[in-house]
Amino acid sequence: MKEILIKTERLSKSFSNGGAMQHVLKNIDLELYKGDFTVIMGASGAGKSTLLYALSGMDTPTLGKITFGKTVISDLDSDGLALFRKKHCGFVFQQIYLIDSMSILDNVLAAGLLVSKDKKALVARAEKLFAAVDIPGETIGKFPTQISGGEAQRAGIVRALINSPEILFADEPTGALNSRSGLDVLNTFTECSRQGQSIVMVTHDMRSALRGNRIVYLKDGIIMGECHLGEYCPNEEARHKKLSGFLTEMGW
Amino acid sequence: MKLRIFLICIMIIFLAETSALIWYGNSNTESALNAVEVNEAVKTVLKDWDNLRNHHNSTTLDYVVLDNDGSPVFATKRGLCESINAAIVHRDTILDLEKDGRVYGKIIIYNDSPKTLLENQKKYAAVPILAAALQCICLVIYTLYLNHRILKPFARLKAFAERVAGGNLDLPLTMDRDNIFGAFTESFDLMRSELQKARLAEARANAGKKELAAKLSHDIRTPVASIKAASEVGAAVAENEKSRQNYTHIIRKADQINTLVTNLLSATLEELQQLTVKPSDMQSGEISEMLTDADYFHYARIPSVPDCLIYADKLRLQQVFDNIFSNSYKYADTEINVDISLHETFLCIRIEDLGGGVPDEEIPFLKEKFKRGQNAGNVEGAGLGLYISDCFMREMGGALIMENGSRGLMAVVRIPLSGTI
Amino acid sequence: MSGNFNRNKLLTLANIRKAKGQTITIIVLVLLSSIMMNLWLMLSMDYQKNFERCHDRLNDGHVNIAACAIDDSFPAFLSDTLKEHPAITEFTVNDALCAPFSFRYNGGEISQLGVLLEKDDALSRNVGKFEITEDSAQKSGIYLPMLYGTGNNYAAGDTITITLGGRELEYTVCGFFNSAMIGSHNCGMVAFLLTEDKFRELSETGGVLRSAYVSARIDDISECEKISADLKNEITGTCPDVTVTGNDYKMITTARYISQMICAGILSAMAFLVLLIGVVVIASNIANYIQENMQNLGVLKAIGYTGGQLVAALLAQFTGITAAAAVIGSALSYCFFPGINEMMIAQTGIPYAVRLQPLPILFTVVFISGIVSMSVYFSTGKIRKIEPITAIRQGISTHNFRKNHIPLEKSSLPLNAALAMKTMLGGLKQNLTICVTMLVISLILVFAVTSFRNTVLDIQPMIEMVAGEYADALINISPERETELISILQEDDRVEKFYLFMNNNLEVQHVGGLSLFAAVTDDCSKMNNQNMIIEGRFPKYDNEFAVAAKYAMDNNIEIGSEMLLAVGNSEEKYLVSGFTQCSNNLGKDCLMTREGYEKLSSLSGVIYYINLKEGADIDDFNSALSEQFGSDVNAVQNIRSIIESTGGVYVLLMNFLVIAIVIISCIIIVFVMYLLVRTVLNRKKRDYGILKALGFTTGQLILQTAMSFMPSLTLSAAVGILLSMQVINPLLSIFLSGIGIVKCTYSIPVKLCVVAGIMLVLFAFWSACLMSRRIRKIAPGRLLTGE
Repeated sequence: MKEILIKTERLSKSFSNGGAMQHVLKNIDLELYKGDFTVIMGASGAGKSTLLYALSGMDTPTLGKITFGKTVISDLDSDGLALFRKKHCGFVFQQIYLIDSMSILDNVLAAGLLVSKDKKALVARAEKLFAAVDIPGETIGKFPTQISGGEAQRAGIVRALINSPEILFADEPTGALNSRSGLDVLNTFTECSRQGQSIVMVTHDMRSALRGNRIVYLKDGIIMGECHLGEYCPNEEARHKKLSGFLTEMGW
Repeated sequence: MKLRIFLICIMIIFLAETSALIWYGNSNTESALNAVEVNEAVKTVLKDWDNLRNHHNSTTLDYVVLDNDGSPVFATKRGLCESINAAIVHRDTILDLEKDGRVYGKIIIYNDSPKTLLENQKKYAAVPILAAALQCICLVIYTLYLNHRILKPFARLKAFAERVAGGNLDLPLTMDRDNIFGAFTESFDLMRSELQKARLAEARANAGKKELAAKLSHDIRTPVASIKAASEVGAAVAENEKSRQNYTHIIRKADQINTLVTNLLSATLEELQQLTVKPSDMQSGEISEMLTDADYFHYARIPSVPDCLIYADKLRLQQVFDNIFSNSYKYADTEINVDISLHETFLCIRIEDLGGGVPDEEIPFLKEKFKRGQNAGNVEGAGLGLYISDCFMREMGGALIMENGSRGLMAVVRIPLSGTI
Repeated sequence: MSGNFNRNKLLTLANIRKAKGQTITIIVLVLLSSIMMNLWLMLSMDYQKNFERCHDRLNDGHVNIAACAIDDSFPAFLSDTLKEHPAITEFTVNDALCAPFSFRYNGGEISQLGVLLEKDDALSRNVGKFEITEDSAQKSGIYLPMLYGTGNNYAAGDTITITLGGRELEYTVCGFFNSAMIGSHNCGMVAFLLTEDKFRELSETGGVLRSAYVSARIDDISECEKISADLKNEITGTCPDVTVTGNDYKMITTARYISQMICAGILSAMAFLVLLIGVVVIASNIANYIQENMQNLGVLKAIGYTGGQLVAALLAQFTGITAAAAVIGSALSYCFFPGINEMMIAQTGIPYAVRLQPLPILFTVVFISGIVSMSVYFSTGKIRKIEPITAIRQGISTHNFRKNHIPLEKSSLPLNAALAMKTMLGGLKQNLTICVTMLVISLILVFAVTSFRNTVLDIQPMIEMVAGEYADALINISPERETELISILQEDDRVEKFYLFMNNNLEVQHVGGLSLFAAVTDDCSKMNNQNMIIEGRFPKYDNEFAVAAKYAMDNNIEIGSEMLLAVGNSEEKYLVSGFTQCSNNLGKDCLMTREGYEKLSSLSGVIYYINLKEGADIDDFNSALSEQFGSDVNAVQNIRSIIESTGGVYVLLMNFLVIAIVIISCIIIVFVMYLLVRTVLNRKKRDYGILKALGFTTGQLILQTAMSFMPSLTLSAAVGILLSMQVINPLLSIFLSGIGIVKCTYSIPVKLCVVAGIMLVLFAFWSACLMSRRIRKIAPGRLLTGE
């Protein structure tokens, strides 16, 4: 049995939309395991991103309980959540969300310096990570508006990984990218997963989903089913079939 | 914008230089003698007249004192004009030393203005040179700036335009930092991307049209085919009894389908209008409010509701609770126990009074239409309440179970959790 | 047309709704500014007029003269002279008794030449009427100028101890009177009205000089100084024994309104400074508004609004708010006016009734609205240039390749500080607003601190400037016993130093100019106020003298010029050795050596200024001296105590000002900070969302925001304080030049200024933190809804 990293109990999230309540997540019971590359799939509006943000302590659930290790993060206040996020989580966003007024390196260091005071080691680690995601040294001094989307997203991954988070959350990381840069980013994720990084990724793109070893299908705020794919290796026909079968079954 | 700032700066520098020059030209020209100092010199000399050797010059002036014979008796330093004549030639100031009407001698105040004038001239020369140098530096900087900011970007723009003309629309126009033509080059790049987009859209529209045509033709082919088949049969056996029968058959069948569809539609509509149950997701917390509302005699203590999302019709659920509580008021009129528990797929609400319950054999019939228990007596009622409540709960995917508890009749309301059905 | 109006109204209301905070800030700034501006205008426009009204009502003279020590033939001679004088239209002469007086006032002593008149005589005067402002049942006693009834000095029925010509007398205060020309110690002489019995009693007991008090009205008021000098010359020329003291309309109008002028000056300066801040705030807000709403503005343009309409909407918004706030502010100023009026009356001594003045309100509203509209108009220029297509497509121009100002890997700053620096360097307009605000506020603050230091903590610099020379005590004695006095003073071991200093209104006539009040001393180096000469040096020789800087400036006199001076019939040429300054005679005075003055005229009495050693009791010393010399003493005075009493009014005024300034500064800082923080938060909402997602806590972000203001805050406050310390004296000189102060010599309390600056920065930082608490509301989860 794998170690449980995050556990939710009857997690619900509702938004008030002009007086009418909109229930985006409904009684979600989910366990996320250490070392897994979990992919949350579903049609748009199924509540994927909401689930991700609730899991990561970015947002508080309306009802239910989320436990990370022994901490009940659904009970933390906003500062407590901030501390939790900086200690345990890394984030990769669809819109990338690098801060425009800072260089790539500064974007990464701004996150890193929150946790570590050892600037030298941090810079070294950042450079190593940049090298690992194929961002050349001369790029890291540039500003987000000056580099391509793929590079920016990989820089975003570096920012997410700089503090060696226990879990990496990715929200449609390839959504805003063209297919070539998307592939680079996905390869980066696979590489991280190989090295034992726990990842939770939200996507509605099948090519991205193939990278995960556990697919959770969400529909109208409910987990419809899940599918275990095993470790990823490229160009595996059976894996593709299994996933598409699962998705068809789920009504994809 | 930046150019304007630059020009303004140049103007300011120029104005500053000019004003500095003008100010310099106007200042220091004053070489008038300080009358107060002259007065002081005269007064101190008169005071020390009897002992001029110990006289001490307390002013910044240089002077020579002559006695009434015209011979010098005191001089602040050597090389001054020591006779009246020499003093006149040098334009020195000559004053009488007079006290109480008696003239003691003369004092010659040395004229040092030629020297100051020379010094000033030297100073003036330096200022224009400095100003010219400053202007030169400004111009050189400006030229470099123009080259960097205007000429170079233009060269790059030219290469880009050639590429676009050649049909290569993929390469974006790179812009460098501080590009003065930022907006300009950007609009070029915009033009390129718009062109690219337009090409793509054109291709896509073409593909879409074909697809639509194929689909429509497929949909239409089926009814056309059956009509064709029917008319072929009609044509083959024309002008006899059988063909007429076939035609009649077709008409009858069509009529039948029409009636069926109409019936189906009207039936469902009727049913929907009568007792619609429209369950939706809601927070379990609302249950507690509904129970409080239903228990308007406050016979029950409403426990806290476990947090979850339930699937129910708020209006109908309220009716169910109202019914259960009013039944209890009518038949038992005792304290009511409410207990709420969360199960795997449903939320369970047990409502029990202390009225001792009903005979076990009546339990199965409680929820039937128009059935009333023995103790109904003369209490008003139609015997429909629990029947309807049961219907509502079943419609919601939950259940209403009536049973005898330990102390009285117990109604168990099961509400499904969201996402379980 | 009405469609136009409605459209614009729609836009305006939408703008206001979106920016409530900004609207409130602007309202507050405009309120403050309009309150002060209206007060200033009321003070400067109506107070002077009030004096004129009072002067007219009392039909008071333009030239007033008290001729002392007269004989029986004098009144006839005087009447003839006055009748023959072509410029004099009407006049009234009364018998009077004159003597130097002193009594307790404001915790100290007040001392001047007293003119005592018989009450009924005084009330029935044709020219120079007196009016009783407060009467009582007392039938025998004295009436005082109403100035001495203010504060808690004297009330009707009190007993006043008044020293007249060296004798202590006690009178019952019967009431108070008002006189335009002779009703305050700022007039050169002070009138007292005695009931008939007391008047007779006093004239019989002697010790006071038989005198005549003349009030004369003339055709052309601008000639009053010249005619006053003429008359005095004529009298002293014919009757050399008679001493003449007088004043004129011009002198009194300035003298009685010193504090009102200063107060009005300060108010106007503050009003303009606050308005300046307001304008900067508005301009930066509009720039910000345009940047944030580039897309919306583009859309509006696309659907057919012209640039002019959009500008008109903004103009309507700001000008409307401003005009409304200015009207309210003007109205509010009437709440403060009575308080200020009371303080002013304590100095002017002329009753003033607060009344509605439409003109100042009109001017305030029109001026402030005009300035604001202008700043709006100029800062909205960008709107006209917006191209709808570009604005819609790209919003804010996207190609901003910023320099990496503070690379995190190299900077040695802590993380929060480094991020704060980045924020700061990103928003230059904010920095500009901060700079202007801080510069203005530090100037105001330095002014407050400096005034506080120089009036409340240690009044000496103000005394040096306003009163000129001072010492511990003075003795006025007849010249025959001068040598005896010198030897006594030399032997007394309580005496630190003493020197001749005559400032009892010796007048010399500048031939071809006005008559000047001469101060005469035997040794300039002994004077306590070595700052009296602001340019050149003290006169040393008998042919030198120093003239008031103001007079020199007005008459184009330079150091080294020669001036022909006259007393009576004797004339002599003098060389100007330096410029003096003190406001005592409103810039119409000069300083001479004793030998220099004696070339023109002899001294009728000698005054010695005496400094005592520390710990010696001035009053004891004075009484011992006056006992020793008996009737030869004309007057002894405790100068320290006089300074305290006259300075009291200014101390009060300054305390009030300092408190008001501190409060106003705080209000301004809070509101400006609110605006700036709001702007930063709007601009950085997305960034802060990201940072929060990364795990930055609200506290860290608040600190970052507040710290991003600190460099420009600290720098501009430091520069502002330093600069203000440099310019405060010249600046004050401009305000005070009206009362003869050309070069202000306030000592600048460096430590106090620095402390004030630090407090200022800390307060600004604190309010920035307070305002940044809105960051709490930025939720990282919002990032996903922004998809």
